[in-house]
Amino acid sequence: MVEPVNSSLGKMLLEEVSPVVMVLCTPLVEETFLKNGLSFVETLKPFCNFSNIDVPVRTSSDQLYRLKKFTLRLFYASDIRQPNVEVAKQRLEHVITQAGEKDFQNLTSDPPQITDILSNPESEIAPSWFQYYNKELIRTLSFSDHEAFDHPVACLLVVSSKDEEPIKNFIDLFNSNRLPNDGAMDPNILKHYLLVHDNQDATTERTSKVLSEMRSQFGNNECNLLCTNSSKEGNVEHQANPWASFKSSVSADKLGCALTGDDIVEIKDLIQEFASRHIIPYMEQKVRELNQQISATRKGLRNQIKNLWWRKGKDDGPDATKGSISTESQIRILGDYAFMLHDYELALSSYRLISTDYKLDKAWKHYAGVQEMMGLAYFISDQSKKEAEYCMENAFSTYMKLGKSGFQNATRCGLWWAEMLKARKQHKEAASVYFRICGEEPLHAAVMLEHASYCYVLTRPVMLHKYGFHLVLSGDHYKNCDQVNHAIRTYKSAITVYKSTTWSHIKDHVYFHIGQWYAIVGMHDVAVRNMLKVLDCGYQSKATQEIFLRDFFDIVKKTGMKHEVVGLQLPIINMSSLQVIYEDHRTYASQASALVEESIWQSLEDDIIPSLNSGKSNWLELQSKLLPKKYKESNVCVAGESVKVDLEFRNPLLISTSITSVSLICELTANSDDLQLGKLYLLFHVHVIIFYIHQVVYAKLISTFGLCKVDKEPSSSILDPKSSTEHNRVTTSGFSSFALSEVDFTLGGGEKKLVRLTVTPSEEGILKIVGVRWELSGSIVGVHYFQSVPVKAKTAKGRKKNKLTPTDALKFLVIKSLPRLEGSIDHLPGKLYAGDLRYLVLELKNKSESPIKNLKMKISHPRFVSPGNHEEDLTTEFPDCLRKGNEQDIVQRETIRTNSVFAFPKDVSLQGDKSIRWPLWLRAAIPGTISLYFTIYYEMENVSSIMKYRTLRMHYKLQVLPSLETSYEITPSPSRLQEYLVRMDIVNCAKSDCFQIHQLSTVGCRWGISLLQPVDTILPSKTLLAGQTLSCFFIIKDCRKSGTEDYKSMSLPSSQTDVKLFTQDGDEKLFDIVNSPLASFHDSERSCQGPSAQVSPNAVDFILISSLAKSSNSSAVPDVPEILSHHSCHNSIRSSSPLSWSLEGPKTIHHDFSTLCEINLKLIIRNTSEGLSSVIINTIDCLLDTASPTTSSGSQSGWRYVPAVTEEMKLTSDVMGSRLSKPPSSMESSPPFIWSGLSSTKVQIKPLSTTEIPLQISVFSPGIYDLSSYKLDWELSEHVSASSTTSSGTCQGIPYYLTVLQSE
Amino acid sequence: MANTACFIIVGRNDIPIYEAEVGSAAKREDAAQLHQFILHAALDVVQDLAWTTSAMFLKSVDRFNDLVVSVYVTAGHTRLMLLHDSRNEDGIKSFFQEVHELYIKILLNPLYLPGSRIASSHFDTKVRALARKYL
Repeated sequence: MVEPVNSSLGKMLLEEVSPVVMVLCTPLVEETFLKNGLSFVETLKPFCNFSNIDVPVRTSSDQLYRLKKFTLRLFYASDIRQPNVEVAKQRLEHVITQAGEKDFQNLTSDPPQITDILSNPESEIAPSWFQYYNKELIRTLSFSDHEAFDHPVACLLVVSSKDEEPIKNFIDLFNSNRLPNDGAMDPNILKHYLLVHDNQDATTERTSKVLSEMRSQFGNNECNLLCTNSSKEGNVEHQANPWASFKSSVSADKLGCALTGDDIVEIKDLIQEFASRHIIPYMEQKVRELNQQISATRKGLRNQIKNLWWRKGKDDGPDATKGSISTESQIRILGDYAFMLHDYELALSSYRLISTDYKLDKAWKHYAGVQEMMGLAYFISDQSKKEAEYCMENAFSTYMKLGKSGFQNATRCGLWWAEMLKARKQHKEAASVYFRICGEEPLHAAVMLEHASYCYVLTRPVMLHKYGFHLVLSGDHYKNCDQVNHAIRTYKSAITVYKSTTWSHIKDHVYFHIGQWYAIVGMHDVAVRNMLKVLDCGYQSKATQEIFLRDFFDIVKKTGMKHEVVGLQLPIINMSSLQVIYEDHRTYASQASALVEESIWQSLEDDIIPSLNSGKSNWLELQSKLLPKKYKESNVCVAGESVKVDLEFRNPLLISTSITSVSLICELTANSDDLQLGKLYLLFHVHVIIFYIHQVVYAKLISTFGLCKVDKEPSSSILDPKSSTEHNRVTTSGFSSFALSEVDFTLGGGEKKLVRLTVTPSEEGILKIVGVRWELSGSIVGVHYFQSVPVKAKTAKGRKKNKLTPTDALKFLVIKSLPRLEGSIDHLPGKLYAGDLRYLVLELKNKSESPIKNLKMKISHPRFVSPGNHEEDLTTEFPDCLRKGNEQDIVQRETIRTNSVFAFPKDVSLQGDKSIRWPLWLRAAIPGTISLYFTIYYEMENVSSIMKYRTLRMHYKLQVLPSLETSYEITPSPSRLQEYLVRMDIVNCAKSDCFQIHQLSTVGCRWGISLLQPVDTILPSKTLLAGQTLSCFFIIKDCRKSGTEDYKSMSLPSSQTDVKLFTQDGDEKLFDIVNSPLASFHDSERSCQGPSAQVSPNAVDFILISSLAKSSNSSAVPDVPEILSHHSCHNSIRSSSPLSWSLEGPKTIHHDFSTLCEINLKLIIRNTSEGLSSVIINTIDCLLDTASPTTSSGSQSGWRYVPAVTEEMKLTSDVMGSRLSKPPSSMESSPPFIWSGLSSTKVQIKPLSTTEIPLQISVFSPGIYDLSSYKLDWELSEHVSASSTTSSGTCQGIPYYLTVLQSE
Repeated sequence: MANTACFIIVGRNDIPIYEAEVGSAAKREDAAQLHQFILHAALDVVQDLAWTTSAMFLKSVDRFNDLVVSVYVTAGHTRLMLLHDSRNEDGIKSFFQEVHELYIKILLNPLYLPGSRIASSHFDTKVRALARKYL
């Protein structure tokens, strides 16, 4: 801890509580000294501080002590009065303003770091002008009447030797009424006479004459001669100018220019002599005198009692302003003198003596003054801390009690008190004292609060929160009295504390206000920089946000230029939304296709992309062989093709903001081989496409072409803010042919928008996407760099690249321009009905001059889409072209459609804006939402070696609605061999639309079909309403011939396989189902609807052709389908046996029963299987009930609902089984007939051939007989049975009713 | 109910995790930041005081003009700070204790990351109800 005397308060006291010397001088004296640019007092001032005067002093006690440090204060007599409050205030304001102006140049500097503040030594924390301000503040209170230490101790009379009558002047000076009109003034004050001799223009003779006159008049000791201005030229330079620190306004080197070193020494000696020889002894004497006097009147028990008594009498009228003669004043003078002579013991005892008196007298101001001095005396003599503090507190509160009049004194008292606390390291307490002396005056309060804040820094542990808070309070006060510079300074320091705070309101307040104030002082750029921090203020109220934004834009406007701001918070960029879409060998037909998972494409393209020698290697590894190692990691894009970047912008505010000119910041450098070429001029154009999150709206698509120069500097330099400004200056105003597109979009409060930005390089090199820039409300440019953020590079996903850094993802190797195939499918409907058959055209176009060849296409859903065979357009209109009679050449489908890859003819080659239109057939096979993926592979001719092929990827989405659903049931015709009954059930599953059915066809040449009954009768309206069901019956006939004939080669007239459902349809031709596309679609349906392994040989495939009824006014599907085809495959015949047979014979017989009635029957058995079959016929003469129906009707009839369309249509044929398990229902009487022929026969039946077996029954009485009591045990030969489901089985006989009548 | 009352929960690292103006006085735009300033400045005092006592309720630790800062420090050194102009110390203590309970319930929520902002609207309603009850 510092010794009290050496503390700043000690020094202050030494200066402030020191003897005052009143100076009276003639105008000529002043004139003499003004040659040096200084007044007389100013000239002497630097020499009034003695650090080692070493004068022995003896005051009240007999103890002698030596004064070491001593100070004199010189004042003109005219100044010795209480300064006017207003003037004082102005002077203080002036001090602050001056300090503020001095600080001005520092305002732009960045706020200091907290560590810097903490590491600063104590003295440097507060600005230097604080001390000066404090001094000035205390000076405003000098010469108050309740204190004695400001009263002049001595009087210095100065006369120039040039004066007319020096001696008279001396007398006049003192007697003139220029003396301060102070009651405390002692007329017998110590006087000292000084004659000034100007060496420049006064004669020595006269001077010495006057001096001797003076000496005789005033006494030898009291007179002195001061010779000045010894330098004739007046250009003396002083090394360490002693006046510089006292008078700062004038240039320091002019001060004292006429004073030589000898002069200065003379002045110094004069003052020292004056102090040590005259003033100190005088004060000593005075102290002793007063002490004696007081001891006589006050000290001692008798006097005190007397005083007490005497005081009582005048209790009611306490006279605060006692004259110099009053005892209290004398004691006070004694105390002050003792204090000034550093005899603190004496001072304290004197103060103590009067303090009770004043208190009793209720002379509060005097009391407080004395208490204040006591506190200081305690402090400086290093006595009881507690006492000192108590006294100061007491003095302070007493002053405060006085109200406004005491406030200034309270301020001084507080300052001293705070200094005292600071000297004792009680900074926190000091801060609270400063806070208490704030008062109402804003300027004063500001300074005091700033004082307080610095105290908090000095507190251990540091109280930074308090520091910041008080700085902000102080700054607000400074602002209130227009001291903007100071306000900025304090806020700037406060920012150190609040820089990283999460207390949002605090942060906003500080940055917003400092920004405003910077704008006031005209430093708009700094203002903008600070204001930027408050833009992200979503939590503030809307009004506040509006104020923030309005002020911000005002300031920005005032700057008159477009600021570029890195990391602008408005709008906020969602970096996780960043998506880069680019095309290397993979090209995309549309936006939607680019967003599809890479793995889908890869699996689709597996077959068509040429595999590379290194097994599972990918395209990139091929690159690595061809490219320099350096670029292995970077993505590849093609010159002239755009790289797209999707980025989401979010508005954090409640106010909508407009954002314009959003564009990417890119860099294109030459390949390393070309680097020595120096600067590279490159051309790129920037598309800006905005699209909204849900619906893609191409707001305004302007592509701009511009020439941009980019230095081949490393990207790091681009990233620091200054060079980015340069970069941008280049992009905005650099070249004449450069224009930026301006896209405006407005983000409402809290809205998010996804923005697509593209860059299209047109030269080879390395393209880097550095960041994004945008304009906010047309006045400020925001820049965001994509440096340290993770980027999902969409197309890089599928690769096995492990070390893909974000920067790499935004770095592209631009290769030479390549042909790029563009493809589209015209009029692809988005919504259609299941079964809808469409004719579409795939248009492929190559804009480049270089040709492409070897085109291949693969479609993800061959069931839905089937490519046509000819490039040419169809001759007839769709759908008539599908009708018969418009047959085209049957092309061998199998050759084209290997592996579901469609290869375009070899001679197809595209170049130079030529396009091909290739027909595509689309059939919506199943309901649901279907994603169709097309990938078209093509190779480039004689272009770069880096990329040999490319693929075009197209993606379409279909929504397929359910339409008609069909199911078929086929049962063998009981009456006829090779004929089957077909029951077709149709249900209209559509929500609202009606359908018309036209045609039913069987596929293949095996089955002929015909109507059992015309549909017109059951469905006269010809349309199926929504939800309506319909059943129709048909007969199909197996047209296969027995023997070795191959049924494939057998051609059935096509008319027999198709049947028109409505006869009235007149002349409309039937649809041809043999030709593509229906045939090819049927093929895929077949493979989809049933597993090929289990196809039973008797399965029948049907195609139902329908159309949307014309009458339905508003269809659920936007474009009305013209033809729908419904395929149903593998409808097996409801019979598991490979046999079909029929019993032939008479139906009715008349017999007289006189003889045995024998009836001959014929059993015709046909082997429908393709294997050799052996059949054993057993007739059973058992107890079959004639009347019992043998069929369980429930299972054989009725609508069989098909739950899912894909479900294979398998008929379970356990009907026979159930019949077998049925026990004979009655066991009555004897059988009505017996089989009279052979009871068991075994025959071999060749495949697809028929055998006849004669049977005979004997009947005994008339009646109706069911001749079904036989069974056929069949067994297939070995080689067929392997593929068949069953190799052997038993069939029950078919009911055959024979009526036998009694003949007449 | 107090005229002015601003309640803030300050987590570790002096980050506010919950803020509420619970006073009955009409809201003023500039009041919000003044309150934050005062409470923020009081953190220094809390830091000193918290280790001098074993009690969680530190009573009023700081004042600015007629606004008083009362603080309650939980065992995990989360500070519940109330800026108020009323003199109802018992009520404030009860308020703090009940809010502390609520805060513990928040902490028990496995989805709540300690030190993050308390966004639960339930918590907010409860705190406001407590403020009406006690302050």
